[in-house]
Amino acid sequence: MTLPGQGAIDLLRMRGLLLRSTLVVIFAALLASIAAVAFTAYITIQRAHQASETRLNELLDTIESTLSVACFAKDKTLAGELAQGLLSNSDVLAVTISTEQKVLVNKQRAQTTPAEDAHPTALLKRLIYSPFDSQKEVGHILLTPDPEVIEARIQEEVRFAAIQLSWQLAMVAFAVAAVMLLFIVRPIKAMSDRLHSMDPTTGERLPIPRRHGNTEIGQLVNDINALAERLVSALAAERHLRLAREIDEKKYHAIFDNAESGIFILDNTGSLLSWNAAFGRLFEINLAGPADQFSWLNIGLLAWDNPDQIAHLSQTALRQAHSVSEDLLIHFPDGKRRWVNIVLSPVGENLLQGVVHDVTPHKEAEAFARQLVVTDPLTGLANRLGLEASLRSLIQEYALSQRGGFTLLLLNLDEFRSINEGMGLPAGDSILQTTTSRLSSCVKNGDSIARLSADSFGIILNQMIQTDVADKICNHILALIRQTYFIDGSPINLHASIGITRFPLDANDVPNLLRQAELAMDSAKSGGGNTHMFFDPVLAETAEHRRHLQNDLRAAIQNHELVMFFQPIIDLRTQRLAGAEALVRWRHPKRGMVMPDSFIALAEKSGLIIDIGLFALDASCRQLRAWQDQGLDYTLSLNVSGRQIPDGLSPAKLHQVITHYGISASRLALEITEGVMLHDIEKSLRWLNAVHAMGLRIYLDDFGTGYSSLSYLKRFPIDTLKVDKSFVQDMRPDNNEHTLVGAIIAMGRSLGLQIIAEGVELPSHLVALGEMGCHYAQGYYFSRPVPAEEFATTATKIAALLAKPAA
Amino acid sequence: MRRFITLPLLFLALLNYAAPAMAEPVVVVNARSSVTQLSQDEVVNIFLGRYRRFPGGGAATPIDQPEGNPLRAEFYRKLVNKDLDQINAYWSRLIFSGKTLPPKSAENAAEVLRLLSANPGGIAYIERNLLDSRFRIVMELR
Repeated sequence: MTLPGQGAIDLLRMRGLLLRSTLVVIFAALLASIAAVAFTAYITIQRAHQASETRLNELLDTIESTLSVACFAKDKTLAGELAQGLLSNSDVLAVTISTEQKVLVNKQRAQTTPAEDAHPTALLKRLIYSPFDSQKEVGHILLTPDPEVIEARIQEEVRFAAIQLSWQLAMVAFAVAAVMLLFIVRPIKAMSDRLHSMDPTTGERLPIPRRHGNTEIGQLVNDINALAERLVSALAAERHLRLAREIDEKKYHAIFDNAESGIFILDNTGSLLSWNAAFGRLFEINLAGPADQFSWLNIGLLAWDNPDQIAHLSQTALRQAHSVSEDLLIHFPDGKRRWVNIVLSPVGENLLQGVVHDVTPHKEAEAFARQLVVTDPLTGLANRLGLEASLRSLIQEYALSQRGGFTLLLLNLDEFRSINEGMGLPAGDSILQTTTSRLSSCVKNGDSIARLSADSFGIILNQMIQTDVADKICNHILALIRQTYFIDGSPINLHASIGITRFPLDANDVPNLLRQAELAMDSAKSGGGNTHMFFDPVLAETAEHRRHLQNDLRAAIQNHELVMFFQPIIDLRTQRLAGAEALVRWRHPKRGMVMPDSFIALAEKSGLIIDIGLFALDASCRQLRAWQDQGLDYTLSLNVSGRQIPDGLSPAKLHQVITHYGISASRLALEITEGVMLHDIEKSLRWLNAVHAMGLRIYLDDFGTGYSSLSYLKRFPIDTLKVDKSFVQDMRPDNNEHTLVGAIIAMGRSLGLQIIAEGVELPSHLVALGEMGCHYAQGYYFSRPVPAEEFATTATKIAALLAKPAA
Repeated sequence: MRRFITLPLLFLALLNYAAPAMAEPVVVVNARSSVTQLSQDEVVNIFLGRYRRFPGGGAATPIDQPEGNPLRAEFYRKLVNKDLDQINAYWSRLIFSGKTLPPKSAENAAEVLRLLSANPGGIAYIERNLLDSRFRIVMELR
């Protein structure tokens, strides 16, 4: 409706109904009127002819008597007069009057036209009878009516009728058009216009045209609106469905396309109907999807190592109607191999859905692991499992033949751990590899060597159980080990310990053989190493004893058999009791009081030291709290083993316990040895700094017995040195120990450290230490370690002792 | 008054009626004429001007009785069943053309006889009692 032309076209299009119905009405009316006009014309012609004839007859009637006279008398003149009179009537074209014998007159109108011939049959003839005898014919008259006149009359009649009909027709057509326009076209046009711009989804609906509430148009509008309603709801439902489907499809497509696993669909002939990119990559199909040239690619044509397997697998899946899985090998033409795990699941309609993973790394790792299980990667020797397998097979062999037997050697490099820690793992690895080659040189075919742990080797001497030969071989081995190793040009000397056990002499199963060999080796090592030892049942007993002890110790911790003892420490400057060293004791139900020396080593070895340490911490803190409650400002020092650092006695745990008892951290001191710091310097240093920062004091215990490295004293946050009791006990005036203790004290003081002398047993010690400037003293001179309940009494005794002048 | 008019008319009518009853015209020709017998038609044709010839040839000259002679009316009444007015109307149409003339009207009845006897082709009607040898009856009117 923007352009007038467009509007006209729209109008035309919209008024098509109007045009059409009007045309039909006009056409029908036209037909009817043509028929009517034709009928009218026909009737008019008939009537005109009749009327003409009637008129002529009437005319004749009027002159009949005269005519009969003329004919009777054969009077031409009279006849001529009559004819003339007749011709004066416009209807008459010609007149002929005749008697029986001759024509009296034959007259025609002057303006006669050739149309005369047109109606020869239209002649009107009348017989004329005698005026005196009505039976007697005396002549006749022929009248020719003028067709033109009739014609003209007809034409006029017809024209009139046509004009009348045309008017009626025009009126009817106009009325029909108006009705169509008003009642049908305009409402429909309005609806159509409204429909063009209507958006039913926004709830717009057609209004019912005015005055059409009860008409078919109104009904149509209601129907259209109802239809729109249904369409909108159907569309909404459809859109919702489509969205959901699209999202689903996208999800599945994303999963399908981006899956790392190959996914494919297979029909029962083995044709691949569809596969994803991962599948294409796996099988090195160049195109990601099934392009034309790859349509109906058969799965059997892929680079299977054995195509029969996949054919068999898919047949099985189809037949059993449940998922099947198998690991299959792909073998590419270029020689590359790849393992895949394939899972085929029937999805109905004779189709299989398949998922393929590349399991080559798993397979390789598996193979590697299988190898690894029995092999030591560093030396290429069998590992413990490999050795055990060899032992088992030898034992089985023996069970069959009942002949031979073998000797098992367990070799451990002495002090290898310190080499590893001091020179680094590569140095250790190098030594192990050299050792391996040295060992290999002294065994014969049929014997086997294995590496059991870091520095342990197992050697099976097959078909050999003679003690002297074993002795000789061991000596040879030990001599080879003693040869100098060179690491980056530096010479290193090592020695080893060997434990020996024999099958079936000493044991007849693998675990026992290994345990016996280990016991023998431990025995050799505890003697200083560089030797070999045959298994002895006594060793087993000792080991058994140790095992019992360990179990007892575990139970002791649970049963609260451990107790804390406290050995006083005296401040030499103030001559007062300053505090104590906390020491753990085991109150064994059968063996009585057990000293730490007997179980601490075992506890460290078994890890029980952690629990014991926590117990000691708790007991110490509780004691400090008790003292604090009594108004005593004593300090306590607690021994810490290397196994407890850094996690066994973490700074967090220390903080928790100290806070729990509400004591000052400065009252608690931790005693460590130099060995602790050697173990893992970085970790130990971090731990020491952490606990020192909490306010705890750090005592360096047993000073003088180890490396006594001065640099450590500077690097580590040490507050106090404890001079080892072995020096103090042996102090005599002017002996070495006296000098040493004096030097340690002087050095410590010069570094700003506090010094505690342990092992003070004689008054002379006290005097000497006092002269040397030692800060604290501890020893039997004052008191042995005492249980908490005795400490107060001890303190009183010490006070009394100190009050006496030194003798 | 009316009665006085009606009575003379009735009288006249009776008179007229009575006269023909007594007078019976016959059609006669000159005895010299060869015509012996004529049909009524032939007599009509000749007296009313259609033909002025006898059927056997020869001109025929009809002679009318004078006007006022009851025989004339009697003749035409018997011949063509017309009264004289009608006959006169007939002739008036023909006279117009001047081609056919009505029969010659004699001065009196005697002249009829004289004209007839003088004209061989003459034909007239007379009362039977006036018939003599000069005339020949060719038709009797009944």
